[in-house]
Amino acid sequence: MVSIKASYTKIQEFLGKELSLEELEELLSFAKTEIDDYVKEEDMLVLDIKTSNRPDLWCAEGMIREIKGILDMEKGIPSYEVKESGFSVKVDSSLASSRPYIACAIAKKINLDDFYIKQLMQHSEKIDNSYGRKRKRSSIGMYNLSMIQSPVLYQTAQKSHKFTPLGYEKEMTLDKILNEHEKGQEFGQIVKDYGIYPILLSADGMTLSLPPVINSNDVGRITEDTTECLIEVTGTNFETVNVVLNILCQTMADHGADIYSVVIEYPPEIHKEQVITPILELESIIIELDIIEKYLDVKINSTKAKELMQKRRFECEELEGNKIKVMIPPYRKDILHWVDIAEEIVIALDYNKIGPTKWKVLTTGGLLPETESENLVREILVGAYGIELVTNILTDPSILTSNVNLDKQELIKIENPVSQTYSVLRNQLFPNLVNVISKNTHESYPQIIFEVGEVVRMDKNDVWTQTNAAFCIADADASFEDAHKRLHHLMKLLNTEYKIESTTHPSFTDGRCGIISIKDIQCGIIGEINPLILEKNQIWVPLVCFEVELPSIPTLNCKTKKTY
Amino acid sequence: MSSVKKKISLAPEVVKLYKEISLKDEISIDELKNITKLDHGKLEYLLGALTSNNLVERIIEVKKKVLLTEAGEIAAANQLVERRILSALKENQPINSSDLSKILDCDNRELNAGIGYLKKQGMIDIVQGQISFSQKEVEVSTDIQEILVELSKGNEVDIQNYEKTLLQRSLITIEDEKKIIVKTIVKFEEMKKNIVETSDISRLTPEMIRNGTWRKTKLREYNLDVSPPEFFTGRKQPYARFLDEVKQKLVAYGFQEMRGPIVELEYWNFDALFQAQDHPAREWSDVYRITNPSKGKLPKENHVKFVQKAHEDGYDTGSKGWRYKWDPMKSARLVLRAQGTSVSARTLVDLPIPSKYFSISRCFRPDTTDATHLSEFNQAEGIVCDPSITFRDLLGILETFAIEISEAPNYTFKPDYYPFTEPSVELSVKDPKIGHIEYGGAGIFRPEVTRPFGIDAPVIAWGLGVDRLFMVKYGITDIRELYSYKLDWLRSARMS
Repeated sequence: MVSIKASYTKIQEFLGKELSLEELEELLSFAKTEIDDYVKEEDMLVLDIKTSNRPDLWCAEGMIREIKGILDMEKGIPSYEVKESGFSVKVDSSLASSRPYIACAIAKKINLDDFYIKQLMQHSEKIDNSYGRKRKRSSIGMYNLSMIQSPVLYQTAQKSHKFTPLGYEKEMTLDKILNEHEKGQEFGQIVKDYGIYPILLSADGMTLSLPPVINSNDVGRITEDTTECLIEVTGTNFETVNVVLNILCQTMADHGADIYSVVIEYPPEIHKEQVITPILELESIIIELDIIEKYLDVKINSTKAKELMQKRRFECEELEGNKIKVMIPPYRKDILHWVDIAEEIVIALDYNKIGPTKWKVLTTGGLLPETESENLVREILVGAYGIELVTNILTDPSILTSNVNLDKQELIKIENPVSQTYSVLRNQLFPNLVNVISKNTHESYPQIIFEVGEVVRMDKNDVWTQTNAAFCIADADASFEDAHKRLHHLMKLLNTEYKIESTTHPSFTDGRCGIISIKDIQCGIIGEINPLILEKNQIWVPLVCFEVELPSIPTLNCKTKKTY
Repeated sequence: MSSVKKKISLAPEVVKLYKEISLKDEISIDELKNITKLDHGKLEYLLGALTSNNLVERIIEVKKKVLLTEAGEIAAANQLVERRILSALKENQPINSSDLSKILDCDNRELNAGIGYLKKQGMIDIVQGQISFSQKEVEVSTDIQEILVELSKGNEVDIQNYEKTLLQRSLITIEDEKKIIVKTIVKFEEMKKNIVETSDISRLTPEMIRNGTWRKTKLREYNLDVSPPEFFTGRKQPYARFLDEVKQKLVAYGFQEMRGPIVELEYWNFDALFQAQDHPAREWSDVYRITNPSKGKLPKENHVKFVQKAHEDGYDTGSKGWRYKWDPMKSARLVLRAQGTSVSARTLVDLPIPSKYFSISRCFRPDTTDATHLSEFNQAEGIVCDPSITFRDLLGILETFAIEISEAPNYTFKPDYYPFTEPSVELSVKDPKIGHIEYGGAGIFRPEVTRPFGIDAPVIAWGLGVDRLFMVKYGITDIRELYSYKLDWLRSARMS
């Protein structure tokens, strides 16, 4: 999901009609967009766009293109004239194994005001960040054309090469920019991984930018006075840089700018021929309407299909044999398969108008035996006066260790936790029950709680998920017997023979603790919680508990779920 | 007073007490205690029944009681210090105060009070620390001394004129003494006919049943105005119980349950679902990765090869694919299940046709926890597969979910996006209070997802936001409550 800010008034201006927020929201839904917020004083809409593969929609202009189609204000692929600029870009073969591709265009008569510049920057940033994979796959640069001489050189430089980066007064070496400039710290790793320094230079040797990190301070600064600009997109994927350029050109053309093409001269190591960008030749896909009709369960002939595709801003040719040829707008590269066209057709038909059908797939339903087993255990433990808990699987390591007097254990750790509170996976349940009791000391006793829940374990070869059951009683006169009788009750109702052998365990009191085993397999623990722990957790009543691993109970059907 | 009196039910013990009080017009509670041999608590309890019926009156009389302090007791026994000073002076004068203190064996504070008193009365002179009789012959008043003596004997003395002096010199304290007097309002004899003697037996006992005395016994009436004591039973966690209900409904629609592991291979969480390996959803910020181990093993089956092809060139689906070099090492990385669809992906292996599956599974995303976000939440997910299935069937399924499970007849469908389905639909429900709520979504699995598992029939994938559903149904505004540690809520949360 991508979130952008847009002007409510400007959207209405573009569409040439007044729309209530509700009407606008309904129209935006055709562009897979929702209104997240509206700040009236600032005329600002916060819009959430749900597609991660349609960067053309990440600006107001893109949504308006879609809406105009739905409202039949415009149809087919929007077009604009592209003139030759006489500009060219020479790509150096030294970039072949790092960031070899570039797409360029020139926009003139751009009428920039402060608001439009911000919108343009917002769109570029969203594309760089998401579609451009944080500039790794592609990044956008814009420059003041009046300062640039053709041919522009896209090549590599020494780390000692110097220029003044955006926002700075003094020249810095490329090396220094990567390590010290704010953008260098953010995106510098991409360049460091290349082992070379990509650079864009004007024919006179002036530096335009260090892609994909930072523009130069003068030529790379777009202001309200800029009327003509050079747009470039560099990246690792030929198709990506070109579709991003096409999106930007389309958006600027929608704003009335004149677009001029640029010749990209590639060395044979990178691309076998020179390319003129933006590349506006239309890709197409042949669609068999019979398949679409069956897939969607709607009736559409080729004429109707053409109409619908034009509504979605595609071009369409009717072919023999109930087929159509769909031409795809150059700012879209998300059409991989005919199912993508099927969706365009059904969106144009309107999901809410085609009518749902009744269920026809008849099957027998059922819970998994493990769920049935867990439900049985839950039922017995509720009957034993237990109040059921559902707690987090992701937890704080101290809850599983120091809080219950256990040493550091081999816990499964999260590499990228948001906070310490959610940084390991629980491997057993009872420590958190102790934690829950400690959070409820103001409530009346007895406190009888239990959880039947998933825990995650591992050994040398495997990682798996299994379900345990833990029960805990806190009361002024709670003793071993209170846990014992409930465990016994559970096992008796489950028709399972079990043994308890005395053991010592740091969480429990010596002589009041036992290991539960079934068929000689250890599968649980029972005992009185060590007063050390009670004191530490400020629990002022005795606490007794047991925990048992359900997969070890032979009369249940609880299986462990292996990850691999 | 009206001559027609209401009938009053009184326990035998109360009646007995009433008679006793009625013998005298007025009796103190202490006397009553002596007569009845009841302890104070019980007596007050029984009196309550009489006062509430306006038969007797309970009056509290407050009296001042003068008590000697420790100093007062000493002064009563040994004479007041000023008198002792005077006798010492008779023997030995002039004298300084420290010698005086030694002779009298009293502390300085007391001594100074005595000297101060005598000085004020003009009976002594102090010249350069030497104390001697003044010229003036004044008798020391004996009144105070007498009062002290009387008080020490326990007699009542009128101290009015000396109260201030006695208090200032800390010889006495004054306490309020409460005296409870019970007065008869209505004589027992007058009430007699209107009194119904009730039982003081509060419960039926096994003995009474066995020996038949229950026939002659009337049990005390239960007071219905009193709230019963709090009562906590064992119970299922409210949210877990709600999920049980959702499961039950899904089973009734013919869905088979499926489950998967919490720690998941990226292969099942992303690759098998045709999410490109550089897709933003696979970033650090969107999915939890685990360390130790950080990688697992990919399945040995052929589908891995076909999934790879689907990514690289679309496999045999006619799709363009994502056109990049697929890396099995990335696919073997371990993550916490970020979407319930990974369980559906595992089910695609040897999927029976026709089939319908669901799972309610815990999923994890690196979100900062607040009232609307958790890093851990539940997703209800599932698939429906049959060769006859169409997009309109998918809408039919969502419609049923909206009406039957979400209980929200006011729904709309909106175009949506999932990397693994096409077309994709959002089920949006209009709530009168909250506005539009995204309750769920669905789509038809892309062929790039199903073909690697040898499936030709369309597979509908659907999901329901069960966390949200529960919150709306039970009016919960903070999502953290679903996993609450609050015993108060767990014990008392309403069930309907």
